[in-house]
Amino acid sequence: MSTALTAAEPRGTIGLRAIAGRIGFLPGLLLLLVAGMSAVDPQFYGIINILNILRNASLLAIVACGQALVIVAGGFDLSVGAVVALASVVTAKTMAATAAAFPGNVVLVIASGVAAGLGCGVVVGLVNGFCVAKLKVSGFVVTLGTMSATAGVGLMITNGIPVYGMPDIFVKSFGRAQAFGLPTAVHVALIVIILMVFAQRRTLFGRYVYAIGGNVDAAVVSGVSIQRHIVGTYVVSSVLAALTGILLTAQVGSGQASFGGDRMMLQSIAAAVIGGVSLRGGVGRVELVAISALFLTILGNALNLLHVDSRLQPVFLGVIMVAAVALDELIRRRRGRV
Amino acid sequence: MSDLELSVMAKDTDRAKPLSDRCVWNAVLPAALVVLLFGFAAFDRSVLSSANLLNIAQQTSYLALFAMAQTVVILTRGFDLALGPTVSMVSVGTALAMAGAAATGHETGVVLLAGLSAGFGLGIACGLFNGVVIALLGVNPFVATLGSYNIAIGIATTLSSGRPVQGVPKIFSELFYGGSLFGVPAAIVITVAVGIVLHLILSRTVFGRSLYILGTNSRAAAVAGLPVKRILVATYVLCSALAALGAIMMTARTGSGEPNLGGALSLQAIAGAVVGGTSLAGGRGGVGTAVLGALFITILSNGMNLTRIDGYVQMVVLGAIVIIGVLLDRLRLERSSQ
Repeated sequence: MSTALTAAEPRGTIGLRAIAGRIGFLPGLLLLLVAGMSAVDPQFYGIINILNILRNASLLAIVACGQALVIVAGGFDLSVGAVVALASVVTAKTMAATAAAFPGNVVLVIASGVAAGLGCGVVVGLVNGFCVAKLKVSGFVVTLGTMSATAGVGLMITNGIPVYGMPDIFVKSFGRAQAFGLPTAVHVALIVIILMVFAQRRTLFGRYVYAIGGNVDAAVVSGVSIQRHIVGTYVVSSVLAALTGILLTAQVGSGQASFGGDRMMLQSIAAAVIGGVSLRGGVGRVELVAISALFLTILGNALNLLHVDSRLQPVFLGVIMVAAVALDELIRRRRGRV
Repeated sequence: MSDLELSVMAKDTDRAKPLSDRCVWNAVLPAALVVLLFGFAAFDRSVLSSANLLNIAQQTSYLALFAMAQTVVILTRGFDLALGPTVSMVSVGTALAMAGAAATGHETGVVLLAGLSAGFGLGIACGLFNGVVIALLGVNPFVATLGSYNIAIGIATTLSSGRPVQGVPKIFSELFYGGSLFGVPAAIVITVAVGIVLHLILSRTVFGRSLYILGTNSRAAAVAGLPVKRILVATYVLCSALAALGAIMMTARTGSGEPNLGGALSLQAIAGAVVGGTSLAGGRGGVGTAVLGALFITILSNGMNLTRIDGYVQMVVLGAIVIIGVLLDRLRLERSSQ
């Protein structure tokens, strides 16, 4: 897809090479990390550890895909972590309430819970999109505001206490289930990534998001409805965050306002940025973001297995993030000079 | 407050008087402050008691200092996400240096000097890192400071083992918290002094003025012969040094080095600056806007505390206020440019 865009530019061949370089950069690093860790610690490729990595990477990848879409359109979504928490709490509360009202009707209970959770995502996404697209407030500030508000609502509903009362079947045969040997979250993440890759490459929405992020004025002149698409990106981002919240809830077995949070938000941005999404907008591919989410998760896992003090681990994350982007910037600059 | 806004809007349709329009718009926030104070006082008399007003002033002085630090970089179209962790790191470093110097039996003066130089040293180092990565390597401020956010958190928690650092000498707390000048608490005195100096720097020096040009049009600044990179580095150093000063004052208040002291400060400081009318698009704002925004947020949370509004509801209100504040500011900008 970016091929089509860059090929249209005068320096098409150089763009192609750069893209090849960019694809090679992250997976190469990932392979290196996996190979190195496998050699150092046999525990690393134990089945339990691998499933653990995949589950956590999937949750992060889902959020990061949405985040990437918003950033490609030239925005920011600081509220994703809070949406994860709110969706978790609302899903659990709704299920508990429906289960009390219609005992035995498991399908209805689960459907209402999931719908309510995803509904939270839609609402927060619409508020974000409306404020950014219609009221023209900077995305950073809007999502900073909704982050605080959403987290507040989540805590208000629960008073910070975990919510129980979900049907067993939701936890046992969805959240903790494994099909084809893989946890549910991995399957969901794969579906989301495939859908998002398709949306980015093959749908008008995806193409327009690139156009808006690349050059708003050009997009306006070309007749792209900017507002609708920007609202769309924020809704997708929030709904995916809500989906993560629901998956976490099903896995843990209770709704908690402490899920997600600032950590998830910062990690999703880190994953997007390390995955080559440009904060200038217009550039970025979801599949690379997913790989970068996997990379970040494995990195954390590796640091744990190597007994690196958990307090020191953020330092590694920070250095790698800055280094990845600085490297990207240097390559871009050299390309610009050629 | 809403009546006030309405009357402002009504007056604003009268576009023949741009100057008076601007005056009215500039009066919105101070007027809202007064309305807010008296509104809360209607529920609880103690809001307007001299003890509480002094309390508000003292609380504001910390947030104002951090909002000023944030404003300096926002003027250049950047921001510093690492401000909060910098505060934590400086707090821990200062306390450790003082405890260490005191344990080896040095005199009070040496102990204080060790603490201050460790604190400012760490702060300036953090600012240098941010500035170099942003200005010389060309990394986006968001990514760069998100990186140093993680690094500073890692350093703060590693140095302190995640626990408060004891052993801060009494004289230190006396000097930066307990002390007073003509009955005015130390925190207020320091913030006012820093505010005056910073205002003079921003309005009267070449460095200060160049920040505004840099934020409005960095290419023009470069063409005009300003050493853009050097100025940017200096800006981030100034921001982190101010954060370090705030951290030292807060450490004096708690009497120990706290690895969690910074917490949500990065975003709070940005919110303070932005609510006061600093533009994230760069080039607009100053000491006045930072102080106003900090005062607004402090009065709001102080009033909500005294009227016993639930802490979680407060989060929702603060989130909404941030968005509304920026929205109003954007409307004001639009009017004045018409």
